Amino acid sequence: MKHLSDQELMRIVQGGDFSPASEIYDRYSGRIYNFALRFLKNAEAAEDATQEVFVKMMKHANQFQGDAKLSTWLFSITANWCRDYLRKSDNKAKETEDVLVQLPAPSDQSPDRTLEQRENEALIKRALQALTPEQREAILLSRYQGLSYAEIAQISGCSEGAVKTRVFRAMETLKKALVMDTRGGDRCLTALP
Amino acid sequence: MSDCTALRESMPMLLTESLDAASRETTHLHIESCAACSDEWNALRETWQLLDEVPVVEPPPRLKQRFLAEIGQVETVASNVVPFHRRPATKWLTQAAAVVIIAGGSYFAGHRNTTNNVVPTHANVLRGPEVTSIQPAAYSIAETRTLNSKTLSPNIEGRPDIENVQFVDADPTDGQISLGFDITQHVTVSGAPSDKSMVRLLSYVMQSEDRVSPSRARTIDWVRDTYTKTGNADPEIAQALAKVLRNEQHEGVRIKAIDTLNSLAPKVAVTAEPTRDALIEALKSDPNPAVRLKAVEALARMASSGQQLDPESIDMLRQKANQNDENLYVRVKAAEALSTLSKIRPE
Repeated sequence: MKHLSDQELMRIVQGGDFSPASEIYDRYSGRIYNFALRFLKNAEAAEDATQEVFVKMMKHANQFQGDAKLSTWLFSITANWCRDYLRKSDNKAKETEDVLVQLPAPSDQSPDRTLEQRENEALIKRALQALTPEQREAILLSRYQGLSYAEIAQISGCSEGAVKTRVFRAMETLKKALVMDTRGGDRCLTALP
Repeated sequence: MSDCTALRESMPMLLTESLDAASRETTHLHIESCAACSDEWNALRETWQLLDEVPVVEPPPRLKQRFLAEIGQVETVASNVVPFHRRPATKWLTQAAAVVIIAGGSYFAGHRNTTNNVVPTHANVLRGPEVTSIQPAAYSIAETRTLNSKTLSPNIEGRPDIENVQFVDADPTDGQISLGFDITQHVTVSGAPSDKSMVRLLSYVMQSEDRVSPSRARTIDWVRDTYTKTGNADPEIAQALAKVLRNEQHEGVRIKAIDTLNSLAPKVAVTAEPTRDALIEALKSDPNPAVRLKAVEALARMASSGQQLDPESIDMLRQKANQNDENLYVRVKAAEALSTLSKIRPE
């Protein structure tokens, strides 16, 4: 299966044979899981999202158009799931606490660097959560998934111009939160609520 | 200035190298000649690089097994943690028994409250020599039935597959809650949170493997909200949470179980022993330091709210406070808990 393209794998699935499921999962689960995790900041919800996105992909494989990119389709389903999740007001407050659940530091890294990295990580996660869901979706797809504005527009159901504005505004907010708006570039650790 | 504004909007595209060559050239030339935009560009680049500090997390391996099992590609693989599945050999029999009990209750309720005739179908006819003598209540499989928890037997036998669990508190002021689920038909049981049938159902759902939704975590959230509000959690709820703490694979859910035990603790004094045992066990052997930390906090809170901590619990706290290879936060919290205890009961 590994030598087959995404489109070839999906054609097999569309024919009613689910045997490529494992290969497709291996190719995309990491990206889908991490997108959902960063979007929702909730590990359980990210697991649910990943599970349901792949199940939906298999069950609605016929909706996939052969000339489309599988990643774009999968991120569309994921983004929809995440938006629905956040729309339910009782889910908004269910962010997972990060304290102490991270992996131990690599042994080749100094404790100071590890501490700094963890502080930065927590700061960035909080900064991402401070964005609007639309801005967060755009910046996550652009920065971490490397998708083009055209692909993001397709996933988010908006124009490329809107994506450009969302990414720009997201970067402005992140810059203010993470980096001081001066030439010194000192970290502003207290900028966030 | 309008040039600056337009060019700054393009800077993120410069970062992703998605500007065409001409625009890229124009933007770079402007950045070199404009101090304000140069500052902006440097700050944006620093921000962009800083975003790399969020690590990529591997999805838990069980997620793939769950997905493949869901689409029928492989059976769920057993992990090193005991899951909540019932024994396969008795699956069909236990489910049949549960259907009889729940449907039997509904039959009783139906005959008390309605004169509707229902048509038997083959959908819930039980097969096999051991159960041929049991006469299940006959309802259409497509029927949705709402039952009053007071009319049901609180005993749930076996481990029936229940799916699509839904919680409803339609009127928060009426003291009634509802729990819906699919078994062979869709059943909704309504009643007061203190009704034994409701308590048993919730305890069962917390320990069930509902493959669709909601996750066990959401069930626990709902249990916490419901019983914190009503202030009269049944001891069985705490016992079910203690079992979740022992058996659940996901550390986030185990933490939720401890938090919920914590929030119920003052209202469920008689459950102190099973709760305390589960917390001690978690502190002793849970692989996740965040769970152990929560367990220490919960034990300390139990003690400070006046519940007796037995010598074993205090020994465990001492052991953790002095254990060199234990997580530092856990050690500190254990020491703090001991300090709190000594203030409450100076020896």
